[in-house]
Amino acid sequence: MNMRLKLLVIIAAAIGVFTLALFIGPKVINPFSLNEMEKEILISIRLPRIIVSVLMGMALGASGAVLQGMLRNPLADPYILGISSGAALAAVVGIITGVTFLGIITIPLLAFTGALITGIFVGALGWKRGGFWSERLLLAGVGLGFLFSAMLMLIMSISDDQGLRRATLWIFGDLSIADWSVIPYGFMFIAIGFVISISRAKALNALILGDEISHSLGFSPRKERFILFVSVGLMTAASVSLGGMIGFVGLLIPHIGRFFVGSDSRVLIPVSALGGGMLLCAADLIGKSILSPMELPAGIITAVIGAPYFLYLLRRKDVLSI
Amino acid sequence: MSSASKNTILEFEGADFFYDGEKPFIQDMTFAVESSEFIGLLGANGSGKSTILKLASGILKVSEGCINLWGIPIQSYKNKDRAKLLSYLPQILDMNVPFTVRELVNMGLYPYEILPKLTVDEAIEMVGLTDKTESLITKLSGGERRRVYIAMTLLQGAGLLFLDEPLANLDIKYQIELLRLLKELREHRGITVVMALHDINIALQFEKIILIKGGKILSIGKSDAVLTEDLIKKAFDVELEIKRHESGEAYIKY
Repeated sequence: MNMRLKLLVIIAAAIGVFTLALFIGPKVINPFSLNEMEKEILISIRLPRIIVSVLMGMALGASGAVLQGMLRNPLADPYILGISSGAALAAVVGIITGVTFLGIITIPLLAFTGALITGIFVGALGWKRGGFWSERLLLAGVGLGFLFSAMLMLIMSISDDQGLRRATLWIFGDLSIADWSVIPYGFMFIAIGFVISISRAKALNALILGDEISHSLGFSPRKERFILFVSVGLMTAASVSLGGMIGFVGLLIPHIGRFFVGSDSRVLIPVSALGGGMLLCAADLIGKSILSPMELPAGIITAVIGAPYFLYLLRRKDVLSI
Repeated sequence: MSSASKNTILEFEGADFFYDGEKPFIQDMTFAVESSEFIGLLGANGSGKSTILKLASGILKVSEGCINLWGIPIQSYKNKDRAKLLSYLPQILDMNVPFTVRELVNMGLYPYEILPKLTVDEAIEMVGLTDKTESLITKLSGGERRRVYIAMTLLQGAGLLFLDEPLANLDIKYQIELLRLLKELREHRGITVVMALHDINIALQFEKIILIKGGKILSIGKSDAVLTEDLIKKAFDVELEIKRHESGEAYIKY
């Protein structure tokens, strides 16, 4: 199958999933005979939730593709840099202490701030001799991540039941809080990060060949790694602030993407974004439908669908490099 | 004093290189690379060959002295402009890259906004890998992988090619294939090659040799003038005999 056809199929599948998610759910809605209440459900509840899940999934998929390339590590995912733990810590502190100084966007804003501060910290620790060092970035991220997770556990273990439940939901990715008010902010940061990463896709390809070859091809590896780090930081921070931590999407989707379209970042980044959006949207649809009215966190569903497929791909070793 | 002539592509003028507070690793290096030369940079392990190539390609900056590319200090070039003039392949190429031959070779076009004359397919054909165009790099042999990277640099169109030990870890068959390919490319496309080496028998195939020891030039010139028993003893700290066939070709007797 040629590349153009593959891309068309992927885009068509994405549109299919998004449409399905809009009209199917705990209650099936017929788009051709809508009553007022159904209109209200579509516009106030389902549409913002689909947009949030798609934005988050796109940010995570694209970030994963960028990070695996720039760190030259097939295990990298957007959370490995500790950004999500920083966001979670800030958000959970907000949830448990019950601060609401900015209304409904208080928690997302706290999470975003926590993510950005962590990102700056990890960046500073990963910086040496005028540039980012992949290993230093990874180790700094893992180290800070552990520290923040421990602090998170400490706070949760001494908090009351009500706050604990909300905090736990948030940590596993809680899309039920999705609401129109947070979408413009999330969209803005994710779009900026996405555009930056796409515009540096050639440099990313060259970085995968190593710093010396990317220099020989006319790129400054340190500068490119910095720009890519900023793009990933923005996308991950915005994604976590929209709906908490969704595991596995950022790790899995780029590998699945490589299986279908190869490793050229110019194609892989947008395809990973679409794939991430599709997976999370579908996972959320399943999570809120199968045990309705109870909802399962989307992060659990992505892992349950994703992990077996990932392991199946693992058997085909040649596709699982970066 | 500059040793530049109008054919000089690259010149080192009294170049020193050292890391902060450490003693110089490269010292007072002065030499010129002329157009279409095929130069072997010979020395023992740790003599500074790789560092010299990294300085020459602008990856490292000289601590003292200067390095000029076409008469202009190499650090004053924009990255993209420099990439159109020279390319560098490190000794260790990551062979586990996830790209196909076509995808990797295509990266040679990255410095350009307007496509140069050579196409991806032509570059792949030049290194004899047309039937592997859509294969993954990981599926190729060691020699083929080297050739893919060479094809990328050909597409990059740089007239000056720095290769760090490209023959290391290759079977003799691939060593010969690669040397032949490079010589052909020099004849047909006029590229200039500077190659780091540690094998004296291979160095005997080169017209010009720069012999390095401890970050300094021990000798530079035509290979039969440089590759003498005396100088090799100094550079490698080993006794050996250099014999000549009736045809005049030299070889080493251990």
